[in-house]
Amino acid sequence: MGGNENPFGDLLQDYVLECLPLAEQVADTFVELERRWRADDPADAVIASLAGRLHTIKGNSAMMGLAPMREVAHALEDACGLLGQRPDRRNDAAAALLVTGGGLLADLVRNASPELDPAAADRYVERVRQWLASDAAPAADSQPERRQADRRAGGGAAGAEKAASVVRVDFRRLDAMLEVLGEGLIQHSALAEAYREVARRGGGSDEMDRLDQAVIALQKTLKRLESTLMETRLLPIATVFGRFPRMVRDTAEAVGKRVRLVQAGGETPLDKAVLDRLSEPLVHLVTNAIVHAFEPAEARRRAGKPEEGTMRLEAAPQAGRVVIRVSDDGRGLDERAIRKKAEALGPEGRSDESIPLRNLIFLPGLSTADRVSTLAGRGVGLDVVAGAIHALGGTIDVETAVGQGTAFTLSLPVTLAIVRSLIVEIDQERYALPLAHVAETVRAEPDAIREINHRGVAQWRGDLIHVADGGAVLGTGQSRSTPRRFYVVMAAGGKRRGLLVDRLVGHQDVVVKGLDPELGRPDVVSGTTILGDGRVACILDAVRILEGGRRAG
Amino acid sequence: MPHSFLVIDDSKLHHQMYRLIFSRGELAASTLYFATNGREGYGLLAAHPELTLVLLDLNMPEMNGLEVLERRRAEGLHPHVPIVLVTTEGTTDDEARGRRAGAWEYLRKPFQPADVERLIHRALAEAAGAS
Repeated sequence: MGGNENPFGDLLQDYVLECLPLAEQVADTFVELERRWRADDPADAVIASLAGRLHTIKGNSAMMGLAPMREVAHALEDACGLLGQRPDRRNDAAAALLVTGGGLLADLVRNASPELDPAAADRYVERVRQWLASDAAPAADSQPERRQADRRAGGGAAGAEKAASVVRVDFRRLDAMLEVLGEGLIQHSALAEAYREVARRGGGSDEMDRLDQAVIALQKTLKRLESTLMETRLLPIATVFGRFPRMVRDTAEAVGKRVRLVQAGGETPLDKAVLDRLSEPLVHLVTNAIVHAFEPAEARRRAGKPEEGTMRLEAAPQAGRVVIRVSDDGRGLDERAIRKKAEALGPEGRSDESIPLRNLIFLPGLSTADRVSTLAGRGVGLDVVAGAIHALGGTIDVETAVGQGTAFTLSLPVTLAIVRSLIVEIDQERYALPLAHVAETVRAEPDAIREINHRGVAQWRGDLIHVADGGAVLGTGQSRSTPRRFYVVMAAGGKRRGLLVDRLVGHQDVVVKGLDPELGRPDVVSGTTILGDGRVACILDAVRILEGGRRAG
Repeated sequence: MPHSFLVIDDSKLHHQMYRLIFSRGELAASTLYFATNGREGYGLLAAHPELTLVLLDLNMPEMNGLEVLERRRAEGLHPHVPIVLVTTEGTTDDEARGRRAGAWEYLRKPFQPADVERLIHRALAEAAGAS
């Protein structure tokens, strides 16, 4: 279509939005196809399900003037058309050709641009052409049937949606809207506080009742605005899950294992900012499992397990958060080896039987040790994974059973923009503590906290935990005449720690503002927010506080 | 009288493309209706006898383009409204079938905005000639 600029060039993002899920479905389906063929399942319906998607990608790419995608989609259409007609040609080589093409197509679409280098696409299309021609039977006969299947299969994913239109919005604009909303919430809090003050002095009247109602109604409206705005920032977790079928296949192949990936809950919505930072830790966990957790086929058979390992990746919304489970049916963690190694790390890894395994496995140093990874069959960089999850305000936990497998459970906030927090007061300043990491608030009775080795220690739920002084952690603490009245027990990654505070102010959803990079930043502060009374408050980084154990305690 | 158009296409991207095409020049005052499948599109066609032109995609879930045409012919619904069947490269037999099923014209992807504009002008000229 000429060398000129495409008239629809402005719609490139819309193109990616529509075609990337389709291309990823196609790529996943090819992986599935390969698996089925190896199991001698002809999977006719699977092949047929692809036609509509490939056809849509081809048409859309053609309209956008994106020749490489159009050509690859077209080549895959032809290959699928032939394979639909010719079960005898369904073999490993054909499957590999499709898997490669699906991956290439998804990559091309993901990085769609008019300046795309067509070399890889050209090479691939040539490969398909040769493969199509490498057989005497004419492929052309299959054409009419293929288009029949085309029409039947339709566009699949785009199916049942209503005729809503999509508007492209720069993500920064959504951030700006959220900031304005945050100010609205603050103004509401100020209004509510003023109302309460007046009510305390004056008592009831009709006007006061009406004012009260208006304040409550305003809060409801703002909450609704907040949830609507949040929804616009959410994307299905499938945008991250999408890369796993191919990754699992390729990694498993590289280490000579057979692993099946089962996914569920791909529609679970998550803030784009969370998704962007979730991919890496998930890849880490999945790679670890494939490389270390699954036994060789022979060993699995002896253990009475199917030779093919099963890797599960599941997501589900749960009480305002998203829970992701990454599990395998491999050999399980070797608890003895981990405990032994942990002991060698010194007091942090002190390992009597009462310390649960999950408190040890995420320790730095433990996980990078080669000895453990070969002995225990697992453990490369789990501290890194845990760190990334904690930094997102998430938690990670592990369950394992020898011979049966291991499951990591991640709990993540749906968004990073608004954090449900406990507001506390330390030395006349207010701070927000993310509730995700707050296990309990405890009244600090006199004598409840003893000093051992210059560190405060308290009995909590049958355990001894360290309790640090809030002022000392934040660097605001002077010598105090009155003891602090409460401590907040924070928890993440098996670590627990108390933080002494003066007052518990209440729970609040705080809108996170970044830190001014010009300002020196205490490492226990992750951001700032504005409270109901207009005061700026620091948001405390619970994970840092938990990590900073010895020094700050 | 301002013109009105109906787009029946399961691709949101194509909705955006048509929006772009219809945002230019004299067409900017037109009314646009969008449907994402044949069933929905058929309902909109039934509700709007005043339509200037319908752009109907061939490949769709829940009633494809041919099925829409066939049903319209069977029910004799607004036969004066011209319907353009939109197809993707290399499907000439579909185009022939579309014509037989009552498509006024066909449009093959990839197309340019000017191709759509030409079709609209032709449809308007034919409508003027007929009245």
